[in-house]
Amino acid sequence: MSGAVSKIELAASFPTLRDEDWKYTDLSRPIAIAQQWLDSGSNEQPPDADLIDSIKAAADAAWIVIANGELLEASSTGLQEAGIEVSLLSSDEPAIDVPLANLNTQFRTGGIRIRVIEDRLDQRPIGLLVIDSAAGAPVMSQARVDIELDERAAARFIEYHVSSGDDEHYSNSLIRLNLAADASVEYLRFQDRALHHSQTARLNVRLERGSRLTHGGIDLGGRLSRNDLKIDIAGPDAVATFNGLYVAGTGQHIDNHTRVDHRVGPAVSDQEYRGILSGRSRAVWNGKAIVHRGADGTDAQQANHNLLLSERSEIDAKPELEIYADEVKCAHGTTVGQLDERALFYLRCRGLDESRAKRVLTRAFAATIVERAPIAELHELIGERVEQRLRELGDAS
Amino acid sequence: MLNIENLKVTIGDSEILRGLSLSVKAGEVHAIMGPNGSGKSTLASVIAGHEDYVVTDGTVRFKGADLLELEPEERAREGIFLGFQYPVEIPGVNNAYLLKAALNAKREHHGLEEIDAFEFLKLAREKMAVLGMDPKFLNRGVNEGFSGGEKKRNEILQMAMLEPDLAILDETDSGLDIDALKAVAEGVNALRAPDRAIILVTHYQRLLDYIEPDYVHVLSEGRIARSGDKTLALELEEKGYEWVREAANA
Ligand SMILES: Nc1ncnc2c1ncn2[C@@H]1O[C@H](COP(=O)(O)OP(=O)(O)O)[C@@H](O)[C@H]1O
Ligand SMILES: [Mg+2]
Repeated sequence: MSGAVSKIELAASFPTLRDEDWKYTDLSRPIAIAQQWLDSGSNEQPPDADLIDSIKAAADAAWIVIANGELLEASSTGLQEAGIEVSLLSSDEPAIDVPLANLNTQFRTGGIRIRVIEDRLDQRPIGLLVIDSAAGAPVMSQARVDIELDERAAARFIEYHVSSGDDEHYSNSLIRLNLAADASVEYLRFQDRALHHSQTARLNVRLERGSRLTHGGIDLGGRLSRNDLKIDIAGPDAVATFNGLYVAGTGQHIDNHTRVDHRVGPAVSDQEYRGILSGRSRAVWNGKAIVHRGADGTDAQQANHNLLLSERSEIDAKPELEIYADEVKCAHGTTVGQLDERALFYLRCRGLDESRAKRVLTRAFAATIVERAPIAELHELIGERVEQRLRELGDAS
Repeated sequence: MLNIENLKVTIGDSEILRGLSLSVKAGEVHAIMGPNGSGKSTLASVIAGHEDYVVTDGTVRFKGADLLELEPEERAREGIFLGFQYPVEIPGVNNAYLLKAALNAKREHHGLEEIDAFEFLKLAREKMAVLGMDPKFLNRGVNEGFSGGEKKRNEILQMAMLEPDLAILDETDSGLDIDALKAVAEGVNALRAPDRAIILVTHYQRLLDYIEPDYVHVLSEGRIARSGDKTLALELEEKGYEWVREAANA
């Protein structure tokens, strides 16, 4: 626990701009929050009951509420769900030796383990409501979840991030998702935090033979948001499909780093991330795929498309492919641009005025990813939130 | 309805239309023919309001008003419809959404209420049946993954829904098999009315077997080189475009 750690030691456990994987994302603000939090060292914040209720009302899910890093039993409706076992994660789990995962291991006070025993794809999703608040003092929290799927087990998950409170907050979550042979997961991550809060989030996935992950990640909130999605393909015939959308306005920085390790083949990984950047905003996308020796028959696809609505917004997009195997099919593409002039003219020729045509095309750009995301029952809610956010950002100005 | 006088249009450094004049009255169907690159699509784009084409001289009047003053969307709401030679694919924009938005933009402009959802669907299904289109197309992205023929039918569907005063169909017949061609022709013929005008842009005579034009014009070197009735199209088919060019230069 935190007792003996000095502020300097704490700062040293964060990566810096000199680390290749972090060169575009400056963590000095989260570090400052963490250091201030050390003084109080308390996460005892009253959870925002209204916010919890509104989310629970919006989607029927087996909710497991994690407030400032700790299980909020009273609000959780998913602790006795059929086909799954939920327990507390023991504190002596082996550390994951990467920056920030270590921070989580060092400072987490809670931790949940979910085991999925059956195929429950046709039942309501399991909802991880990661809700944070900071009132009275800056707060750092460490949500932590381990998810295991037995052979042939299947489930749908929502990882829903929200936050409230006037003070600064930094959330550093760590989730591990292990799929045994022929297991299947549909996973939707929706990050809708307060715009003055920051977050780093890591999801480490391991896919055994014949298992299947469909992931959708959507980031609307946060001043600083960094997601690390790491997928280890450990068995043949595994399929990982993951798509992402980020919408950023002035003052926001959204960084998505994905990394797929194809350790055996044949297997498929297919990702497409899209971003809409307005005002003075910045986004980073880095997609790394490593096809290890012997992972023959790998199919790895990467795409990243960005719509820059303002000249002051900035994107750093970088696909990275390292191939050490034979007979692999790999492709990547990135684009950065404005709205399609031909489509704009077409819509205007049908009577839509220019500003409306731009709005329609901007939404269409985002909608493609939302529609592809798993957990269809949340599409409408997310679509509305995207719409609202774009409107706040002054649309396609 | 449409009066074009001495229209000169450039794109980039090249002058494409070099003093074109054309007059289209309500109730008429005009065919504009001409070889590839003669400026047919340029003319259609200028009438629709494309900003890349610069009008350097001449006038275009629509229903008595200066058309060149209007934005593309204003022209559409005033009753001009351009059926694109290459309809644009717009993934993520629902076909039904666009049809309804287009219809309502026009209705609003004319002081009418928005169309009721039920009425809209009924109308769309009706028009689709005539065109031999599966109603499923309503829920797809605009032209997304459509075949060439499906895209052209979709243009005609939009036209049928919007009931324009002046429809300009740019090579709507190209790439169509005979069934699709007949369906498209049926859609166009259904629109023929004393208060409407239609301009068919084509470089084949084939379409004119199904839609009989009142006038045929041949575009060559940026001007109407020759005008006549439907027999001109047959003559062209026989003698080729060179004949027009030679006759014009003689
Ligand atoms: N956007 C453009 N930029 C430059 N030249 C163009 C453009 N569009 C058309 N042109 C040129 O203008 C001429 C007329 O083209 P177009 O109007 O498309 O002819 P048509 O429809 O009769 O085949 C051609 O020589 C073509 O290359
Ligand atoms: Mg053309």
